[in-house]
Amino acid sequence: MSVTLQRLIRTLDTFWEKQGCLIVQPYDVEMGAGTFHPATFFGALGKDPRRVAYVQPSRRPTDGRYADNPLRMQRYYQYQVLVKPTPDDIQPLYLDSLRACGITLEEHDVRFVQDDWESPTLGAWGLGWEVWLDSLEATQFTYFQQVGGMDLDSVSCEITYGLERIAMFASGIRDIYRLQGSRYNFEAADIGLYQDLFQRHEREAGRLLDEELLLPAYEQLLKCSHTFNLLDARGAVSQSDRPRFILRIRTLAKRCAELYLAKHDEKA
Amino acid sequence: MRKPKHAPGSADLLFEIGTEELPAAYLDGAIAQLGEEAERLLRDSHLTFASVASFGTPRRLTLIVRGLGSLQRNPAEEIRGPSKQAAFNAQGRPTEALKGFLRGRGGTLSQVKTVSTGKGEYVYLVKSERHVPTAQVLPQLLAQLIGRVRCPKMMRWDESGVRFARPIRWLLACYGRTAVRVAAGRLIGGRATRVGGPRQPKPVAVSGVASYLAALKRAGVILDQGRRRARIDQLVKQAAKRQGGVPAPEVVSHGLLDEVTHLVERPVPLVGRFDKKYLVLPRELLLASMAKYQRVFALQTSAGKLLPAFVAILDGTPAKMAQVRRMYEHILNARLADSLLFWEQDHTRLPLAKFGRLRDITFHERLGSMEDKTQRLDKLRRALAEAWQLTDQEQRDLERACLLAKYDLLSSVVREFPTLQGIVGKYYAIASKEPSAVAAAIGEQYLPAGDQLPKTLVGSALALLDKYDTLSSYFAIGIEPTGDQDPFGLRRAAQGVVEVAWAVRKPLPIDRLGGGPRIRAYLAERLYTFAWPAPASAASPERSEGMPPRDLIDAVLSSPWDDLVDAMERIRHLRQLDGNQTLLRAAKVVERTTNILKGASLKQDRVDPSRFQEPLERELWQRYDAQKDRIGELIRGRAYAEATKAYGETFFEPLHEFFERVMVNVQDEALQQNRLALMNAIKVLYTDHVADLSKLAILQSTLPSSRKEP
Repeated sequence: MSVTLQRLIRTLDTFWEKQGCLIVQPYDVEMGAGTFHPATFFGALGKDPRRVAYVQPSRRPTDGRYADNPLRMQRYYQYQVLVKPTPDDIQPLYLDSLRACGITLEEHDVRFVQDDWESPTLGAWGLGWEVWLDSLEATQFTYFQQVGGMDLDSVSCEITYGLERIAMFASGIRDIYRLQGSRYNFEAADIGLYQDLFQRHEREAGRLLDEELLLPAYEQLLKCSHTFNLLDARGAVSQSDRPRFILRIRTLAKRCAELYLAKHDEKA
Repeated sequence: MRKPKHAPGSADLLFEIGTEELPAAYLDGAIAQLGEEAERLLRDSHLTFASVASFGTPRRLTLIVRGLGSLQRNPAEEIRGPSKQAAFNAQGRPTEALKGFLRGRGGTLSQVKTVSTGKGEYVYLVKSERHVPTAQVLPQLLAQLIGRVRCPKMMRWDESGVRFARPIRWLLACYGRTAVRVAAGRLIGGRATRVGGPRQPKPVAVSGVASYLAALKRAGVILDQGRRRARIDQLVKQAAKRQGGVPAPEVVSHGLLDEVTHLVERPVPLVGRFDKKYLVLPRELLLASMAKYQRVFALQTSAGKLLPAFVAILDGTPAKMAQVRRMYEHILNARLADSLLFWEQDHTRLPLAKFGRLRDITFHERLGSMEDKTQRLDKLRRALAEAWQLTDQEQRDLERACLLAKYDLLSSVVREFPTLQGIVGKYYAIASKEPSAVAAAIGEQYLPAGDQLPKTLVGSALALLDKYDTLSSYFAIGIEPTGDQDPFGLRRAAQGVVEVAWAVRKPLPIDRLGGGPRIRAYLAERLYTFAWPAPASAASPERSEGMPPRDLIDAVLSSPWDDLVDAMERIRHLRQLDGNQTLLRAAKVVERTTNILKGASLKQDRVDPSRFQEPLERELWQRYDAQKDRIGELIRGRAYAEATKAYGETFFEPLHEFFERVMVNVQDEALQQNRLALMNAIKVLYTDHVADLSKLAILQSTLPSSRKEP
């Protein structure tokens, strides 16, 4: 029985729904990873329990250069779970989810190899692993320690499944799909346009934050982040500029986090 | 029946901290701390024990204390607290200060007395000798122990706020056969361990150390990290042999074996193969591709040629080995396809000098780009070339190597595998038809690494300059290593400078390289911190003679030196004389002349033979006059051991006699000054050029103390 992507998503939805997760929809703004979805970024803040799962298409312009490697794609789907607070049996629970996907763990080499995660643009970091299935990096497993530059009141566990990889693994199909290269990201994207866009999105985010319009401001941050990724892939970000770009996005992320918590406290 | 007064018995303590997978890089440190901190806590708690040992796997840290005495014997003690005035209020009631003190020290009001001291009346807590059963002490002690295992990055995972490298999921604690109820966060110590790995964690009840070790063994867990390493080494070698090869030696020297030891607790080998077409890649790139993601071991023929095969070490035996192997092979082939792509992409961009712009790569935001660094190297190289007396050809090669050194940082391969910097540059320099000496130097610029040193002279020069520039640039903007904080690797850079200069035995002209006194002092301090004359390495510890004794380094560095390598040469020579009468005699001469000059003020710089009164001082002078050129010659020829021998032989006996019979500090000032000048001449003949031997520790111990001058 081959495991299709759609069946895999359905299986994970069912599994995590049973664990009390709210199944939400992908966010319709380009982003580099599922962590940028507001459900995770804001969900990790504050003390309230939160369980949520969703699929998020993710774009990594720089990964387009790995033309012959079927394991790296510039667009792919992540299945993302956020659980807060973290239950004691989260690791066995995750392994059960793999079983639910049709993977007989006893047949494989399953390993948790240190991989501490950090998103400098989101001011977020956590400790955890990449999970190996016969040396295939199938999942990123992270205990968040900070988001938006703030220590977390309650520790969330973030589980990010590489959907295509797991589908491939479970069904025994080796190559996911051949990539047509990505001439656009590397050669054709208009640098001037994106530099201009970055500034405009940044300014707009700042203005919206001043007006306390949280989600619209956060969307502008996402656009800044994606624009930065494109510029980076295009080779238009020198190493000395990079920290400044990152800092500019992180500053917005911190303001978003602060505004979220302030609004949250008001409500409570 | 009377109870025996002495040891009421002992038992073994077993303590296991069960965790989710600990980072491999943390394990050695965590295992060591667990043992050391346990010993410290046990001693501080007045507990006796026979031995302490600590072990670890990715899933557990284990402490075994043998023969832990069953009674804690707290000795009687009196602890001073606050002053009486601060301890009691006007009504004679205890204040918060006193209550806090008692809480902190675990005392009660009834154990308090006041004592008048020279500084006024103070409160004392008087504790009489107390015996507490060890079993009662252990829960608290073990909880404390958990908190003392510190890792580079720590985390929280639940609301208890307990911090550790990864979440703790179970605690096993047994004293004898009894569970110790140690608590950490929501966990309580019990008598069960877990085996079976993450796939099938199974609790197993144990009743003590022996049954615990047996349970792990049954589950295939090798607890002892040393034995696990040896076992993996053996498994890889056996698997390699079946492929007609041996493991590539780099898997040991580059740390892969150590890392894999801490990635598994039930090692099982798996042999796989990759596509032969990738063997066109340079060895270093193949090895890096294999080690970086999958941590698999590369194999080679006995002649050293890489084989298209690898050994992976799995954790436990999977039911479908063939399927696992196919996936490992598939992924390795994909990784190698990436590497080949990067390699080929880079080649289309050659020559190296046209690779891109060095100014796009930041060295440090306050120190500019790699272009700035290249320009600094270009300036420094002239001073070094002069000091090393490089030939014209060598100078040209060094110039070119400095210019091209950093270009490989712009390559795709180095972007993917930063550890291959320099090595990749070497290959690309060859492909760009650069002279072989230039390519070799580029390849050696980041050495020393492990026990590898640059082999070529130009490579040594570049390696030294690169590190010297890093060190002096950071020092210039006020960034210096402090304590264990050294984010820019300056300590290593400094040691590298010293090691390289020492290896080629060429001068290290700190002044000409533009280093201030701070750099000079920092480089000199390195002599105390690593084993030389021979470079030490894990692979060949016998090559190292270990660190020279501190007092010897002190002695040499206390005398004037321009060139650190020359100072090192002196230390090496003197070290050969260590423990030998020759050195002791010379040291004695220096000590006595030094002591006599200490209190006096010497105003006369030359000895005037016409003022001699005693035959003994004339004889001493004649000896000095007759031998000073020979000793000076030996020193100039850097035959420091010979010079020391000649010095001791020349002066030890006559000086001894001189001090027996002749008074230096006499009333007649002219006479006194002349005698002091004689002492000074003898002293500086040696101490101005070799070492201030009065710093040697042997002077304190072995010889009868010298007679004091009246």
